[in-house]
Amino acid sequence: MSKPLIIGSVAYTPNVVTIWEGIREYFGDGPAEMDFVLYSNYGRQVDALLAGEIDIAWNTNLAWVRTVAQTGGECRALAQRDTDTVFQTIFVARTGSALGGLEGLKGRRLALGSKDSAQAAILPVHYLHEAGLGDDDVELLRINSDVGKHGDTGRSELDALRAVMDDKADAAALGINTWEAIGRDELMPGAFEVFWESPTYSHCNFTALPTLSDERAAPWVEKLLAMDFDNPAHRPILEMEGLRQWVLPKMDGYASLFDAVKEQGISPRW
Amino acid sequence: MVSPLLVLDLVERTGPLPLGATVAVPLDGSDDDVALVTAWCTRSGNSLVEVIDGVATVRRGPSPDPYADLDPDQIPGTRLWIYTNFDCNLACDYCCVRSSPQAERRALGADRVRKLAGEAVDAGVSELILTGGEPFLLPDLDDLVAACTAALPTTLLTNAMLLRGRRLEMLRRMDRDRLVLQISLDSPTPELHDRHRGARSWERAVAGIRTAQADGFRVRVAATLEPERFSELEPFKAFLDDLGIARDDQVIRALAHRGVADTGLELTVESLIPEITITADGVYWHPVSADHDDQLVTRELFPLADAIAEVKRRFVAHRAKADAAAQWFPCA
Ligand code: SF4
Repeated sequence: MSKPLIIGSVAYTPNVVTIWEGIREYFGDGPAEMDFVLYSNYGRQVDALLAGEIDIAWNTNLAWVRTVAQTGGECRALAQRDTDTVFQTIFVARTGSALGGLEGLKGRRLALGSKDSAQAAILPVHYLHEAGLGDDDVELLRINSDVGKHGDTGRSELDALRAVMDDKADAAALGINTWEAIGRDELMPGAFEVFWESPTYSHCNFTALPTLSDERAAPWVEKLLAMDFDNPAHRPILEMEGLRQWVLPKMDGYASLFDAVKEQGISPRW
Repeated sequence: MVSPLLVLDLVERTGPLPLGATVAVPLDGSDDDVALVTAWCTRSGNSLVEVIDGVATVRRGPSPDPYADLDPDQIPGTRLWIYTNFDCNLACDYCCVRSSPQAERRALGADRVRKLAGEAVDAGVSELILTGGEPFLLPDLDDLVAACTAALPTTLLTNAMLLRGRRLEMLRRMDRDRLVLQISLDSPTPELHDRHRGARSWERAVAGIRTAQADGFRVRVAATLEPERFSELEPFKAFLDDLGIARDDQVIRALAHRGVADTGLELTVESLIPEITITADGVYWHPVSADHDDQLVTRELFPLADAIAEVKRRFVAHRAKADAAAQWFPCA
């Protein structure tokens, strides 16, 4: 029997333990047994991947971009959640603000989430630039309340929304997952409205180095993709992890973040 | 207008929680807030445990299945207990409903029993259990039993003292295929049994068991024991084996501190899995408490389905609270 693949993941909530114990159990009956190791932040996890301590890292999009940078593009993405292929950043303001689009932010204050959050900080600035807004055109209020976890906890995004409520900012940028978590604009009609939605982009993926042979990776990916939302044994794990189906990665969905990291001079390391 | 900050608080406070753990979220007290928390929980797959004094307790993830730990026949509403009457020819010193020859009859009557049996079928009940007092004191017991056995498999509890003459004739008219007799017997020799249940009652109970068996009835024996006697059950079981009582029909339970019993297990609504119980006075949580208002569910016997739904609702609420409490005070 070959030794189990070791998957790294960042423990941004205690439920990560439940999720990975469930996934490990699912893989337990072969042919691609696995175990997992948890890290407190993505920097530590990518270091461990590069050091060969883990075979596969469950990375955010920023961790992926940084791994690509550090490996000269040698790493590869194995799979991701269906929800990772259609991630979005949402720009919201108080209802009735009539910002009308990103241009409406000129001269206004935009609250951003943690600086290492692709969805709530890096990509929003990129979108502003794309809309022709320079660094002096929008006053950025940066809220770094969950640095290291790449915005996974959503805390900085909630703080950004609070800043809008408290009139410390005119608008906030957040990931679609946080927007969903607060019930979009349906639970609190009259509180927030969306004035711009980004194109979809790719978020997390399972990242491996070339040292992981296809022979070992392929059965693992095949078994992962076979998890079935309609199977009552699999469903709770998939629900907790926020997906219906594991899919092959959508690589062109990372282009915008590569561009953003380059133009903002974000370092490939931590 | 509800406060959007409340939703932000909910997301932030539940996010770091392990599944199943709970957190208290203060509300500003308006009904809108409660509606908002409810809507958010539904949408986000979390559960609202309760709102007390303006503080919502929210559990991460769905409510655990309140029936998960129960055997299928323990699910409330599966069995229905019916107290036919409260008077009794005996006056046992541990009787949980204070029955005796002096106790008022408080009979349900054939009409209500028939109606209950009919509604029980529709409400999904799968077994009826008739008890008292001593049911054989009722002159029309055979009618009551016939109404029950026509509807569902039925168990009839008796002390078996009275299986003679006219009452034996009543027994013989009952449906052997649908009726089990459950007879009380507390020990393999007279001494202990008689001490609690009266002189010569052991001898007559054993004779009653034999009579019922001889007439082709399946007999279950139920013993009520002080908790300390649970360590010496083998001689009793051997005696019951010899009497021809199948092991599955040997029911041994602990004495409850109810009725005239001055010791025994303390049983509260919170600690008892409900066994819905109907008496002439109302619907009770459990047969051991059928004479105690602390476990009265409602005075309305009908519609039976409503009473069952109310017991289930309370049970789910108790479970949710207990689970939440377990999360509040984790073992160190
Ligand atoms: S325990 Fe049974 S037999 Fe004894 S007094 Fe109570 S009802 Fe009668």
